[in-house]
Amino acid sequence: MDRFFYFFIAIFFLCHAGGAGQTSPVTGLRDNTPSVYALTNAKIVVSPGNTIEKGTLVIRDGIIESAGTSVQIPGDAWVADMEGKTIYPGFIDLWAETGFPDPDEGGRDLLESMNIPPEYAELVAQFIRPGSDQLSSAGALHWNPQIRSWYDAASAYRHDDEKAEKLRSQGFVIVNVVPPAGIFRGRTAVVSLGENDNNRLITKSNVSQAMSFETSRGLGGRYPTSLMGVISLIRQTWYDTNWYRRAHTAYLDDPRGLERPELNLALESLLDAALRDKPVLFDVADEIAFMKAVDIASEFDLNLWIRGSGYEYRRLDVIKDAGVPLVLPLNFPQVPDIESPEDAMNVSLESLRHWDFAPENPGRLNSAGIRIALTASGLSNNESFLDQLRLAVDRGLEEDAALAALTQTPAEMLGIISQYGSLEKGKVASFIVADGSVFKSSTKIEEVWVDGAPFEVEKPPDPDVRGKWEIKSADLGDLTLDIGGTESRLSGSIKKNEKDVNLLSVKFDKHRLSFGFPGDSVGMEGIVRLSASVSETELYGIGELADGTFINWKAVRRTLHENSDDDNSGKNSEMSEGRILYPSMEYGFEAKPKMPDHLHVKNATIWTQGPQGRIENADMLVSNGRVVQVGSGISTPRGAVVVDATGKHVTPGLVDPHLHTSIRGGVNETGNNMTPETRIEDVIDPDNIWIYRLLAGGMTTANLLHGSANPVGGQDAVIKMRWGSLAGDMLIQGAKPGLKLALGENVVRNSNEYPNTRMGAEQIIRDAFQAAKDYMEEWNQWEQRKTGIPPRKDLQLEAMAEVLRGERIIHAHAYRQDEMQMLMRLGEEMGFNIASFEHTVEGYKIADILSDHEAAAVIWTDWSSFKVESDDGIIYNARILLEQGVLTALHSDNTQLSTRMNWEAGKILATGIDEITAMDLITINPARILGADELVGSLEPGKHADFVIWSGHPLSGFTHAEQTWVDGRKYFDRKEDLVRRKEVRKERAALIQKAAAKSAEAGQGSSRQSTKSAVSTTRTFEK
Amino acid sequence: MKIINDIMKALIYLITIACIGELQAQLPAALQSGPVALKGGTIVTVSGGEIPGGTVVFDNGIITAVGIDADIPDQAEVIDITGKYVYPAMIHARSSLGLSEIGRVTETVDLNEHGTINPNVRAQVAYHAESDHIAPARTHGIALTVATPAGGIISGLSAAMLTDGWDWEEMTFEASTALIINWPDMRNATARDNALEQLSEAFLEARRYKKAKEAAGGDAVPHHKIDVRWEAMIPVLKKEVPVHINANELRQIQSAINWAEKENIRMVLVGGRDAGYVLPQLKDKNIPVIVTPVIGGPARQWEEYDRSYSLPGMLYDAGIEYCIAGDFAAPYTIRLPNHPASAVAFGLPEEEAVRSVTLYPARILGIEDRMGSVEVGKDASLIVSEGNIIELSNRVEQVFIRGRQIHMDDKHRRLFERYRERYSRMEK
Repeated sequence: MDRFFYFFIAIFFLCHAGGAGQTSPVTGLRDNTPSVYALTNAKIVVSPGNTIEKGTLVIRDGIIESAGTSVQIPGDAWVADMEGKTIYPGFIDLWAETGFPDPDEGGRDLLESMNIPPEYAELVAQFIRPGSDQLSSAGALHWNPQIRSWYDAASAYRHDDEKAEKLRSQGFVIVNVVPPAGIFRGRTAVVSLGENDNNRLITKSNVSQAMSFETSRGLGGRYPTSLMGVISLIRQTWYDTNWYRRAHTAYLDDPRGLERPELNLALESLLDAALRDKPVLFDVADEIAFMKAVDIASEFDLNLWIRGSGYEYRRLDVIKDAGVPLVLPLNFPQVPDIESPEDAMNVSLESLRHWDFAPENPGRLNSAGIRIALTASGLSNNESFLDQLRLAVDRGLEEDAALAALTQTPAEMLGIISQYGSLEKGKVASFIVADGSVFKSSTKIEEVWVDGAPFEVEKPPDPDVRGKWEIKSADLGDLTLDIGGTESRLSGSIKKNEKDVNLLSVKFDKHRLSFGFPGDSVGMEGIVRLSASVSETELYGIGELADGTFINWKAVRRTLHENSDDDNSGKNSEMSEGRILYPSMEYGFEAKPKMPDHLHVKNATIWTQGPQGRIENADMLVSNGRVVQVGSGISTPRGAVVVDATGKHVTPGLVDPHLHTSIRGGVNETGNNMTPETRIEDVIDPDNIWIYRLLAGGMTTANLLHGSANPVGGQDAVIKMRWGSLAGDMLIQGAKPGLKLALGENVVRNSNEYPNTRMGAEQIIRDAFQAAKDYMEEWNQWEQRKTGIPPRKDLQLEAMAEVLRGERIIHAHAYRQDEMQMLMRLGEEMGFNIASFEHTVEGYKIADILSDHEAAAVIWTDWSSFKVESDDGIIYNARILLEQGVLTALHSDNTQLSTRMNWEAGKILATGIDEITAMDLITINPARILGADELVGSLEPGKHADFVIWSGHPLSGFTHAEQTWVDGRKYFDRKEDLVRRKEVRKERAALIQKAAAKSAEAGQGSSRQSTKSAVSTTRTFEK
Repeated sequence: MKIINDIMKALIYLITIACIGELQAQLPAALQSGPVALKGGTIVTVSGGEIPGGTVVFDNGIITAVGIDADIPDQAEVIDITGKYVYPAMIHARSSLGLSEIGRVTETVDLNEHGTINPNVRAQVAYHAESDHIAPARTHGIALTVATPAGGIISGLSAAMLTDGWDWEEMTFEASTALIINWPDMRNATARDNALEQLSEAFLEARRYKKAKEAAGGDAVPHHKIDVRWEAMIPVLKKEVPVHINANELRQIQSAINWAEKENIRMVLVGGRDAGYVLPQLKDKNIPVIVTPVIGGPARQWEEYDRSYSLPGMLYDAGIEYCIAGDFAAPYTIRLPNHPASAVAFGLPEEEAVRSVTLYPARILGIEDRMGSVEVGKDASLIVSEGNIIELSNRVEQVFIRGRQIHMDDKHRRLFERYRERYSRMEK
């Protein structure tokens, strides 16, 4: 039988998911039980800050009929006395991962979500397994399986009683369910957590479009494999959506003579969000991703909501400025593993600090005036939500704010505020009944009502049998019974005439108590075995004595069991004493280093790397972050900061033209052999400890490059080591944007994909540039015509076109002479220049050709023979290149190496290169290659005051950096470092002490169970 | 001035190549044919201070006189080295030189034997005398490298190899330098216990073998067959051959020290990244450390940026015997002197740093009677240099290995000359 047939059958079933609603016929008898309740004497928290101390709540057919102190109780209402109870509006969760299967389990789970009957599952599975072209073969969806914007939660949701019960147990009554898979995950839906058919539970469809920076492997597909690929795909998809609207509008307007634009349900599903009609709910993993989501939303004018990460406190000001509502998980980390000192050695200060600060995140965000909603998602166990909520309250989140974040705010965001979010008349009767303040850890949520139907959460406990009882019995005499221990492990004693006997096997279950005791010590024979039915105040017992006598006995309660206080042991409830650092980790700054108005560096040997050359006993004057003057006899301006550098050397800050550090989510996008759309600037990690270490080695500027996995890689980012700043602020404005190309072994390695030879590498690059030319022509024609269907903006070809227009320069990874020669000739033919070859191991073999083409050579000092194409690497490469007039620079391609580029340049001296030229290789030459030589790379008037003060000759192996300045700010000072390293250890030690104390408490806490109230709740009606 | 100097040198090369041909330029040096005197330079003896204006005389590959007034035999070839320095040649205590050519081409890499317990494999027999990386090592002043097998738990026996010669037998300075052990990663308990069990079992079986062998010929002792693995371990059990244990993490180091003490073997710690955290134990137990590499970043986010560079200084301050080895990768043997230099930048005294790649490795390898310093009676394996051999800018002028004046030529210089020829023809 044809497999496709079954596939369409399966799709058919998909459309028939769901049960019946008000429109469905009744089967069997009608249920017409009245649904009218009056809850009296309750403390009613109508909304945050509005509490009725002793009020009545009347509910009729799922709606609040009235709430207040002087409410007339309707005669038909079933009355419940709620003395001692507090009623809260039910909680609302904006991000619930219930009702859909886990996508990363592979195709099978997805099948389930499609409601495909098991008999067809195996066949359909073949279409949706990872790696297959899966769903793209069904329907007019998206070519990329990660784009599931078409997926509609309201159609696919399958009620999961178990998960709903868990959420209810934490006070939630209604949630926004989010499809679990893909970058564009689809449209979310508001779902009530009651028990009903889908048509009644799913209350609102197409609420928001959910998005994520993460791919779901279970969906298959090759692209994207990296975070920068994900971001590019997101941007391309929004561009495509806008194009889709324009193209179809034009086509509808007059289709005659036009090529019909494609039908694409994925893009169609995004049209409303693209016009701000629907919000985009973006899931982010940290505050850096938060900022990237904000960038994307502003690029495409989206109405953004963000599901936060718990790291927001680290950049509170930026989060506040974004003005985006936050859906906040309470995913506070566990106590770090510090069990032994050597375990603790492997815990970073960064993670210790996060453990310490995280519970304050909600409070700090709220105090900063940021709009937050809280979510139970993100916890390993939804049922720990209340514990975490209470911890957040202990750690500074005001109770009213917490309540608003769970009721009013999410109700407003979801557009259900007229039905939910408070206990006002006319709203839906979905609320919480607790035995006290929901923010106290001793409080139990007893019931949660959803749409007017009560659900029991915490079973009313059996009366606590523990305490002292007085037994009066003709057979036993007067005894005192004392029952203690834990609820699960009771123990006790019995006392007669001041004599104590321990009880044997005390058991208590379902209001029945049984125990025994050796009779001899209290003047009885054998073992006395007794049992009793238990109420709050009385025991009515029976028993059997050793002589076979069946007895009756009775006891009255004398004391209640002592109720212990809130158990905070092991809870991270103390406020953090830490200062906020930027970044929040080892060697973070409390504030950005100051930029003195004037700075006077005195008496140094200054290597200007400019026309002034190297000057002994020289001074340098810096004002407002720029070099003003280098020379001798400079007078100190008033108020200037003076740095005495007598006997020291000063050089420009070092420049590394090729580095892959501080790149988030993958250095290579390997999902395609052509990925010029990817941008390193999208994925800079400013909080990487290596930024600090690079500063410590005098490195101030670097080009962060895409890897060399594909012939056309991605767009680079030239950054400065502005430790502590935001990713975007690390970019150096004015450097020439670049594009990475790659040749040789790396790009021909994958035998499953073009190219497999250096011949093919030429052709694929040629093809890409040709496509870019055609693309430019297409746009030219459109600019003249301006009618019909506009061309689609293609981020790949845009980047290539920028190269052809001379707006973007090429940095090409190459080892062998042949491939370099090939690319230069190709460039000459197609009309682009190669700014630099990267690695250029055989550059010395064709130095004249490089020179003629004005291609720079970016090389290592002494790397060779780690692979075949590097086997002819020689230490004289720079020497020959320079002799032939090739612009040459040293690069690291390795983060650690980049922290000691002065030593790399020092090694070059032994090959016969002079000192100034050697210094050029790591300063002005790389700056020229990056098109940043007007800004950095030398110490000349007007240039950035990026410089290093060295302990001695900068090209000596015995020299280290003493100070590193960027933009006229001192980012590194070895003297300060020696102090700060002690502070790092001190702060770590203090946090480890704190964590160890918490671990110890938690260890004890587990055997010391918290006790429940002895006063049992009084159930006044049945469900 | 320098450039003129370079042009002169280049000319000399061109003439050399023209005269003796490219092949010969890379030939192993001829045996020393008569006494040689290096006269008038600064002799950095390493063991006994510096002798300015000194002379070193050697004959038959052995140093015969050192000093200002050293007797120069009449028939000696006298080389004036005024303004230059003489250092002992360097020793690289852990290297893949000769065992590996191009890292990514497995056919050219003979480092990891199959299986986990390989005490019997011997590095010298796979030492590729024609490796392109050997000549650069010797022209950079490295006379000896310890060819070191890798992989598994017991990798094999390392061998101290000379960097000049025709074949591996001639180049073997000392076989069985050490038994190489890789201490297991202590973080994964299962893998750790499994590896430690294999290791202890190997030592136990080797001891049983040794005992049976020693009892051979005695009453009622039958013939025992040879076991090549345990046979190879007998010198280790007799403490004639030390054990070099690769261990970097704190728990690895401590566990290795305990184990070695219990097994009663001679241990040298190799790597030793976290050695700075267990200085008293290393000192108490007299464990020498081969630090490698010095140039590197810290292992932990909170650690000081210069932690790795500072380690030799810490060991020195604590009075622990140590030496420095460089990069393991064969093409990077030439970087050996860069490692002690970086330690100087972060606290190690300069003279100490020079010893850490000359005298100290000789001591730890047990060859200080022949190598490691400029002393009478030791091998004439010497460097004539422009300056301090561990300074980055230093140029090695001439190297002698066992008195043989080596050809200062290698692949780097050959390709340099070849392509300068390309450009010089263009200018014509």
